Formats: sequence, C-alpha cells, structure tokens
Amino acid sequence: MAYHPTRKLTILALDPSVRTDGRILRTQIEVPNEVLEAGPRGYRVSIVDYDSSTDSFRAAKRTFQHARDAYRSPRDPFEKSSDAALLASPDFHAFMTYGIVMKTLARFEHALGRRLSWSFGSHQIQVAPRAFADANAFYSDTAQGLLFGYFPSNDGKRTLYTCLSHEIVAHETTHALLDGLRERYTDPSSPQQSGFHEGFADMVALLSVFSAASIVAKVVDLGVPRAEGEFIKRAAVSVQALKESGLFGLAQEMGAELAGVHGHALRRSVALPPGENYLRSGEWDEPHACGEVLVAAVLNAYLAIWVERLKAIGDASRLDRNRAAQEGAELADHLLSACVRAIDYCPPTDIEFGDFASALLTVDSELNPADTKYGLRQHLLESFRGYGIHPTSRGKPGRQAGSWDPPPPGATFVYDRTHFENMKSDPDELFRFLWENKEHFKLHNDAHTRVLSVRPCIRVGRDGFMLRETVAEYHQTLKLDARELSQLRIRKPQGMPADMEVTLYGGNTVIFDEYGHVKYNIGKSIMDTARQSERLAYLWSHGGIGPGAGKDRAFARLHVRRNMDWYRS
Amino acid sequence: MAAIAPIAVSVRMYNVGFGDCFLLTFKYAQGARHMLVDFGSTAPPRYASKKTDYMERVAQDIKKVCAGKLDVLVATHRHRDHISGFGTDVPTGKIIADLKPDHVVQPWTEDPRARANSQEMTGQFLGALEDMQEVAAAIKQFATDESLAGKQTRDQLQFIGDGNMGSPSAFKNLREMGQRSKAHYVSAGMELSILPGVKCTVLGPPTLRQSETVRKQRVRDPANFGQFRSFWASQSLAMRQSLPRAQRAPRTALPPNVRWFVNQSRQIRAGQLLGLVKDLDTVISNTSVILLLEVGKRKILLPGDAQVGSWSYALSQPEWRRLLADVDLYKVGHHGSLNATPKPLWALFKNKGGPSTKNRLETLCSTRAGKYGSVASGTEVPRRVLVQELERDSRFTSSEGSRATFCNEVTFEC
Repeated sequence: MAYHPTRKLTILALDPSVRTDGRILRTQIEVPNEVLEAGPRGYRVSIVDYDSSTDSFRAAKRTFQHARDAYRSPRDPFEKSSDAALLASPDFHAFMTYGIVMKTLARFEHALGRRLSWSFGSHQIQVAPRAFADANAFYSDTAQGLLFGYFPSNDGKRTLYTCLSHEIVAHETTHALLDGLRERYTDPSSPQQSGFHEGFADMVALLSVFSAASIVAKVVDLGVPRAEGEFIKRAAVSVQALKESGLFGLAQEMGAELAGVHGHALRRSVALPPGENYLRSGEWDEPHACGEVLVAAVLNAYLAIWVERLKAIGDASRLDRNRAAQEGAELADHLLSACVRAIDYCPPTDIEFGDFASALLTVDSELNPADTKYGLRQHLLESFRGYGIHPTSRGKPGRQAGSWDPPPPGATFVYDRTHFENMKSDPDELFRFLWENKEHFKLHNDAHTRVLSVRPCIRVGRDGFMLRETVAEYHQTLKLDARELSQLRIRKPQGMPADMEVTLYGGNTVIFDEYGHVKYNIGKSIMDTARQSERLAYLWSHGGIGPGAGKDRAFARLHVRRNMDWYRS
Repeated sequence: MAAIAPIAVSVRMYNVGFGDCFLLTFKYAQGARHMLVDFGSTAPPRYASKKTDYMERVAQDIKKVCAGKLDVLVATHRHRDHISGFGTDVPTGKIIADLKPDHVVQPWTEDPRARANSQEMTGQFLGALEDMQEVAAAIKQFATDESLAGKQTRDQLQFIGDGNMGSPSAFKNLREMGQRSKAHYVSAGMELSILPGVKCTVLGPPTLRQSETVRKQRVRDPANFGQFRSFWASQSLAMRQSLPRAQRAPRTALPPNVRWFVNQSRQIRAGQLLGLVKDLDTVISNTSVILLLEVGKRKILLPGDAQVGSWSYALSQPEWRRLLADVDLYKVGHHGSLNATPKPLWALFKNKGGPSTKNRLETLCSTRAGKYGSVASGTEVPRRVLVQELERDSRFTSSEGSRATFCNEVTFEC
C-alpha cells in the first residue's frame, strides 16, 4: 500500500488580523503524514486542550483521517471552512498549532539531516493551544510542553488566541527545539545567552514565514500603495520600502493587540538602525531587547541580499510579483537552513552572538564554499559588524573571514585508544577520547564533566558536496565557594559573601570529520578567567545568583515582564 | 510663633502582626503633638493569634496616648496591611476618625483629582492600579481551588492577594478625613509644614515623570504606557471572564494520558498567578510615601513599603543622599523584605556600627515571619540576610524579636 509521506493542512498565514480582500490570509502547509489519535496526538506532538484558568478539558472527538484507509493521504480538513468557522473551531485551533509545531520540527530535521530530541527525554511534546487566560505563551521544560494563552481584546468583545499566530507558535517551538539541541543555554549566564534564545526563536519564526512564497507574494507590498495584480512597483522593493511593507510592518498596523504578546512584535527589530554600541551599553541587557540586536543584524543582511537579487528581474517600473516573492522565499529558506545548522557549530555553554556569527559563517562556507549566488557571508559579516557583533574567531588567512579555525597543526590527538565507529553514538566511548586528550580539550581536573550529546549527521551542501560529520558536546561544571575564586584568578564580585556557592560552566563542541579526526574544537573553557569574572559580576549585580535564581527556566516570567517594565523594582 | 521646636520625640511601634502602625509623639514645652503613620494588619501578631480584637486594643491605645486628638495621619499607601484599620467595616475606623487629624497625608496616587483625565498618563496609571486590585481579589478567590497547586503556593496567593485587594471603606474614610481637615497628596520633592519645628521632606513616591528620569531600561515604544495600562486591564478582564467556574470535572473524567500534563499546567498557572500578584504588590508598594522628618538634630526616616524602583529616584538626588547620611531612626521598609532596603540606601547610613557606636542607628521593623514569600525562593519576609545586618550594625527592634511586646517605643531628646 502506498504510504503518503506528507499531508496538507490549512493554517492562518500569519494571524487572524492579517486580511486581504476582507478574508483572513491563509496558507497550506505540508507536514509529515502519520496516523493520528484524536487530539491530535502523533508521534512527536500531542495536543492537550486543557485550560487551567477555567480548569476545563476538551476531549477532541475527530481524528480527521482518511475515512476508510489511514494510509491514504487525508484530505485537508479546513481548506473549505469559512473564516468564522475556523476561528470558532477548537479542532482548527488544535490542528493549526499541531501543524506549525510539526512543520518547525520537520524544518530543523531537514536542515540537520537527523532526528531531533526534546531536551526533556520524552518523545512527544505536550501542547496546550488554549492553556490559560493570559496574553502570554511559552515553552516549559518541566511541563514538557508548549502553552499558549488567550486573552480578551481591548474592547472586551473578542477573544484572541496566541495559538492562531503562526509566528508565536513557531517562536515557542523553536525555544523547545533549541533547548533540545543546546540544553545549557537556559543556565544563568551573560545577557547574550538569554538574548540568543529569544533572538534565535524570532529569526526562525520570521524566516519560516518568509520562506513561504505564497505569503510573501501577498504581503510584500501590503500596507504601501498597492500595485494591483501580478506586478509590484519597483519603488516597493528598496530595503527601506520592504522594512515598511506588510512583511515587517504588520504587527504595528494590524495586529496591535497580539503585538503585545511576545514572539509576535519583534518584526520591528529590522527597523533598528545599525549601531556598534547596543550590546555594550547595558541598556540592551533585557533578553528580548538583546535578542533584537541579533535579529536586526540577520534580517538586514537578508533584505540587502533580496533587494540585490531583485535588481535582476523586471523593468524600471515594476516586477513580477510571484517571481519577486519566490526570490525572497528561497533566500529565507537558505538562510533558515544555515541558521539552524549553525547551532551544531556553537559552543555548548555561555553562548554569545559572536559565537553564533562564527558558527554561521563556518557552516555556510563548509556547505556552500563559492557563495556566488547570494554573497551571503559577505553581507552577514557587514551586517553583524554594523550592529557591533564581532565573530569570535577571526578566521585564519586563506579561510573564510570570521569562521572557526581548525585545531592548530601541532595538536596531535590520541586516536588509537578509542574506536570511532563507537564514538559516533556512544557517549562513554567519546568521553574516553576526551579523557585521553584532556590537555587539548582543556578539561579542568576538578570539574564534573559530562558528554551531553553525540550526534552523527549527513548533509548535502547546495553545491553537491556530501558532508558526514559527528557533532559531540561536553560540558563541565565546577562548584566552588566564592572565597576559592581568587585561587583560580577569577574576581569575586564585590559584596558577595565568601561562603556563597557559585557554579562555573565550561564546555566544547567537537566536530569530527568523516575520518574521525577532530575538525573543529569550539568552546568555552571553564578556565577562561576573564569570562568567568564578567559572568559572575553580571549575575551578582542582577540577582542571578542565590536562592530563587538557580536553574529556573523562567520563559514564562520573562515574557510577562516585558509588559511590566515600569515603576517597579 | 517663632522657634517652637520639639524637645523630644518618641516613636511607638505597635505590634499588629503583619502590618504597620507607628505613632510618633513630638513633645513641646507647651504640650505634645501626635502623628499616626499607617494602621493595618493582614495577619495577627503571635501574642494575639487567637484574639480578634488586637486592632481595637491598638486603636484604643492610640486614642489614649494622643488624648483623643491626632495632629497628622499618614497612610503611606493602599496596601491592606497599612490601612485596614482605617476601614469603617471594622470598629477601628471610627475610633481613628474621631481623633480628627488636622492633616491627612497620602501619596499622589490617591488624589481624587489625579483620576480626572483617564487619558493622561497619570490617569492611566491609576486605572491600572485599580485593575491590579481586582486581579488581586480574583487571585485570592482562585487560590481556594485545592487542585491548583501545593498548599504553600496557595497560601502565598491568598495572603498576597488579600493584602492587595481594595479596601473601599478605608479609602473612603481616609478621603473624608482629609476633606474635613487638610489633605496632602504628596510626591517626591514636596516639603510639608504639618508640625511646628519639624522639617518634613517627601522623598517619595516619585511622579511618573520623575521615575522616568531614572529608568534604566530603554523605552522603545512611546506607547509603552498604554501597554502597561492595557496589560492590567486585560488581566483583570481575563480573570473576570474565566473565574465564574461551574463544577470542576472529577479527576477520573480526564483521560489518563493527559493527567500528568494537566497537573503540570495547574502548577504553572499557580506560578503565573504568584508572579502576577507579586508584580502588582511591588507596583503598589512603590506608591508609598517616603517621609524624612528632621526634628532638631534628629532624623527619622519612614519609607512605608517603598522598594528599589521607587528609591532609585530619591537616591539619584545628591542633596537627599547627604540628608540621609545621618538618619537616627530607620523604619525598616516593607516588613524587612530585601528589596525595600536597597543596598545603596543602607550604605548611606553612617550611624551604623556595633553596640558601642555613638548615636547608633535605631531600626524598627514591624513584621510577622512565615507569612510572605519563602526561604527557598529567597523572598522570605523578613529576609534573613537583612535582619542579620540590621542586628549587627544597628539597635534593631523587631515586633517579633526578643523584645516583642504589644508596643515598642524609642525616644530621642532633640
């Protein structure tokens, strides 16, 4: 019997406020096909329609499978429904949320060439599309799930569901996926680490939307004087015009109420003018603000490349709408893949934007050495610099500027005591390799060391190169009393009691090539005294150490605080 | 009348459990004048935990000490643990009203005129305060649901929710007392002439514009304030819409595969509500009147529950920093919470030190442990680390300490 790998699902293209010709803008997405239980409950995503504000649970009745044969591709259940029916249907809320979570997961798996695990060890993530009455949505690793709130509109007449915003769902799903890839990024660290979680989730959400040509075509000139029909005006495709267009301006124009919810409004990041001092000023330490700087750098590079591509099509006054949208969507897709792959090349702990920049440049030059079509890396480099984001690695002469360097030629690793075939999947074997090569990996002898992951992956570059690599992460934890810091040449923050326990983190990402040799060793040594001093000083002055601070993955609090930032401590 | 000045001042701290009630008596050659600062309680003191009339005993004692006449009444802010005793739904409200204070001091946020224009920033802020109190009331009600979370969290929700609920009869009584005499709705920078020979500087609460000048977080969105307002309006609306809950489904009505997640969701909800109620608690605390009294060569600092957010304005004023340096008596802010005695404030006090210190700083803390916050989250009130510092570097009197009685008194010669 033929198995259909995907099924089609109608969702709202952006959110219920975005309409064209009086109808809510929709799109059809393709998600992995599977035999669903009612909920829907599938092999990775389980929708639980429980509302904790009213303490009520809705049991879904219908599975929307093919009536006679579960192996046939099911019909898109909502394709023909009216707008009003979609908004009112709890089944649609459930399926739209399910669809975007699955699509985002599938997108990551496609980019990485392997299955992704959630950080919490379960195969299925629980998703509550109508979780509570609050203008908030977040990922919770303790609840192993995503929770989407709903809230009354300002006039109190309608109810707004955060699960009906494509970007909010994609954003929160990305938090969960990133946590699965880099579980230590939720530890208390620098402002850039929490900013990275937010900025990365925003980038993925925006680029996911932009990579759908059908959506781009509809909104590329929405909100600016319309050039009707098949063409858009040439004037509507400058970097500035696109910034002000429907693609980026929607939140302010139309979704003002949803815009207050986190994960939605940060399209305005693109309007942030370049400046070298954002990250140094201290005023951008709040995670969302900090993340915006990263988003601005990446999106401005995206826009610059897109506009350049569009110069080649159309005539002086107008260009073909679908063709222009296609260019934008392809580029978004390419950039999205690169951003996701870059995570494999990021250090496992204490990430800063410069690390991501180096990772992104490295991964793209590995997969796409020529870069003739987009000139992506040059644009990224310029844009990163414009926002004061400097790649952590400068890149050796003859290699891509800003990319990670391979281990120094003199580094002779001991390979003959371990078996690479086992190392590709066995953390214990990998740990032995690390242990035998302690000096190269700068392992601290007193710290607790753990291999977080070993992941084999095969990727096809767009130029046809096949890449077979193994990505491993190890992590070190060192708990000390504050009085012991000076022995390690780490500054004890002023006023910190000598008997206070502090935790230092370190760790590396090691990339092995197909021969099992260390290709990159990317990391943050636990012995980096300058970084540790700076991190402790920041955390101490911001109440990030001590009771109540701990490993509280407080995405929930973080997202509310945005609205609270006034007249309070 | 020139050069009338107090020759002594005494501060009585009544033990009202979790709450504040301070009676200041200024002794002049010609007689005494009295200033009552706050009178509220949301948990009884240990000595009276079985008795319900402890507030009445306090009111009667105030009446006796001031011989039936108050000169000044200060209600620092609208938390119930500071003003519940002024309510006319309890017997004490009338006792206090009958003392006919000549001056009634409240923060600018209580000024009926400030509410007039609801579109103005100030009006919006005050509207948000009202929404917050509705949210608090809803949360208190919500927390009675036993399936919501563990007992400790529910107790916190109820206690903080209760403290933040509106007290309409107390608001009304205070407003009317002000109308019958002289009402002062104060903000940072004002000087009050309310007692002869006493210089009375208002260090807080800052106005919205003042607090804006010391904001650290950048404001990208000029409509930010509208967002603040609509955030609380939406919270309040959402609470009201979701509250009227019919019967809860029995546990077995849930399919086994969702029970674990449902339980997690309830705990998350409880955590969200706790975050929300603590946030609004902080905002309301920050509306506290902060008074610095200079009586002869003595200085008394009465900050209500003001927290870092409010103090940051006062502490940004160099002149006030100088004034604060030689404070003789500090009423410990917010029952000993850590955020209410910001480190930069504590650092200014130069009369700190061990028992042999000359003019050693007096600190008075009205509190009741085990009611607010938790040790595990570092939010317990009073905060252990702060109490240790107060005990070490000042003559510390707690309404709960070894010298706990019905009332503690500190007297200064001026």
